Amino acid sequence: MGLLRRMQNPLSPPVVEISDLHKSYGPLEVLKGVSLTARQGEVVALIGSSGSGKSTLLRCINMLEVPESGTVKVGGEEIALTGTPPHRKPADEQQIRRIRSELGMVFQSFNLWSHMTILGNVMEAPLKVQKRDKAEVQAEALEMLAKVGIREKAGSYPSQLSGGQQQRAAIARALCINPKVMLFDEPTSALDPELEVEVLRVIKLLADEGRTMILVTHDMQFAKTIADRVVFLHQGKIEEEGTAAEVFGNTRSPRLKQFLSAAGHG
Amino acid sequence: MVDLLPQWLRDVLGQDVLFWLGYFTNGKHLSWYASVQYTLAAGAIGAAVALGLGVLSAAGRNSRFAGFRLLGKAYTNSLPGIPDVLFFLFFPLAFEQAVEWIRAQAVCTPAELALGRWPLCPDANLIFGSFEYLILAGVSLGIVYGAFAGNVISGAMNSVPRGQLEAARAYGMSPLQVLLRVHIRQMWAYALPGLSNIWMLLIKATSLLSLLQISDIVLWADRLGSPNFTRSAGLVHPDWRWGYYLVLLIFYILLTFLSEKLFTALQRWAGRGMATAGAS
Repeated sequence: MGLLRRMQNPLSPPVVEISDLHKSYGPLEVLKGVSLTARQGEVVALIGSSGSGKSTLLRCINMLEVPESGTVKVGGEEIALTGTPPHRKPADEQQIRRIRSELGMVFQSFNLWSHMTILGNVMEAPLKVQKRDKAEVQAEALEMLAKVGIREKAGSYPSQLSGGQQQRAAIARALCINPKVMLFDEPTSALDPELEVEVLRVIKLLADEGRTMILVTHDMQFAKTIADRVVFLHQGKIEEEGTAAEVFGNTRSPRLKQFLSAAGHG
Repeated sequence: MVDLLPQWLRDVLGQDVLFWLGYFTNGKHLSWYASVQYTLAAGAIGAAVALGLGVLSAAGRNSRFAGFRLLGKAYTNSLPGIPDVLFFLFFPLAFEQAVEWIRAQAVCTPAELALGRWPLCPDANLIFGSFEYLILAGVSLGIVYGAFAGNVISGAMNSVPRGQLEAARAYGMSPLQVLLRVHIRQMWAYALPGLSNIWMLLIKATSLLSLLQISDIVLWADRLGSPNFTRSAGLVHPDWRWGYYLVLLIFYILLTFLSEKLFTALQRWAGRGMATAGAS
């Protein structure tokens, strides 16, 4: 389905453009010059072993991690950075907040605001950041909760929900800001296998709707099913990238072969 | 006071009851009851100052600026070690004399200043009444307990899950929105049990007001309970202080009980949905 979608529109405009990104934590260089483009409607899966830099790369898109060098463009607009490492930060607070409000991030550990109801969580950013009309936001929030299958949990608090339901609520929260791109940071890693399925089903549904998504995952089978393009990171560099069929069916890099073999997809 | 009662009610109550009713509603006893306001006012001022200083010192401790961090740490680490009675005696006096000294520089002549007497000159002399001392007493309590509050609030701020703050930033909230809508809002759930304890300590310390010559409930209880003589009648009553102090004990127990009810309700509000001890 994903491949079919991409074939229908191979030259859609780029939504996220990452160029020559470098990021270090002290002496440890996590990203060593990574460039990546995600086009409109494209689903990009980032795979790689722990410590390969895939989560850091995702978090650099909305500047939760600020790279030492390189550029990130969202919707053609470059995020302005200032200062010298390690004190580099977004130059324009207004710009970064506006861009962040267009990127729907879904975290591994959900990170729902525990003092708000599920509906409150979903409505918070559209109301307080995007300053949209309350009635309109509430209607959309309930629609998004229905879409992820937890409409009846709107009045509950996150702690009253299962992990799978919490993650679906987090996806509804991301959807309700009408994001240009959805960023998923290992969305199923904290879930039991039976709860994982319900979250994967929702993500698949979103991919089929033609949403632009960048997804960090350990689940190779899922990456194979959902992604238009798979990017394999190894020690801070892109080791191999291509369509899911190319990467999984015709693996060139020995490191990726080794990784897939260890992950049970060799 | 008893004279205001209608005759039929006075007949029903009888002489003994009327005597005690009259005794407990005489002018001095009414002043005693009214002096509860000083205790409550000192508690309220102390709590407000302690909370304000607590938030400021916690913010200082977590500040990006080394100077603020040092100031916050110095305050929250050193003040809890000072006996509250000592600070209670020290601060109002030190404050009064400091203000007098500053005033003296403006109003006294150089010759008067050179003499080095205290007060430096009559114009610089401040006469503080109960009201001023009450404010100073409240502020003194606030300064001492603000250091405890600073420790509690600082710990509570650090207990708020980092991921939730990160999510707030990731969705475009401003630093102020993150602070107010997520960080401080959730902080209460972690801080309230500790703040409740500090409030209890502060309430207890309000019994020190008489040290500043404020006619508070303790001073009145002491006056009313002491052996009482009048020139015409001789001994009016022997040493009844234990009885009056017992009333104060019951008053403080009642205040503790009401405070606990209030804090339980606050914790339930602050902990809604959250996996903390106060959550329901």
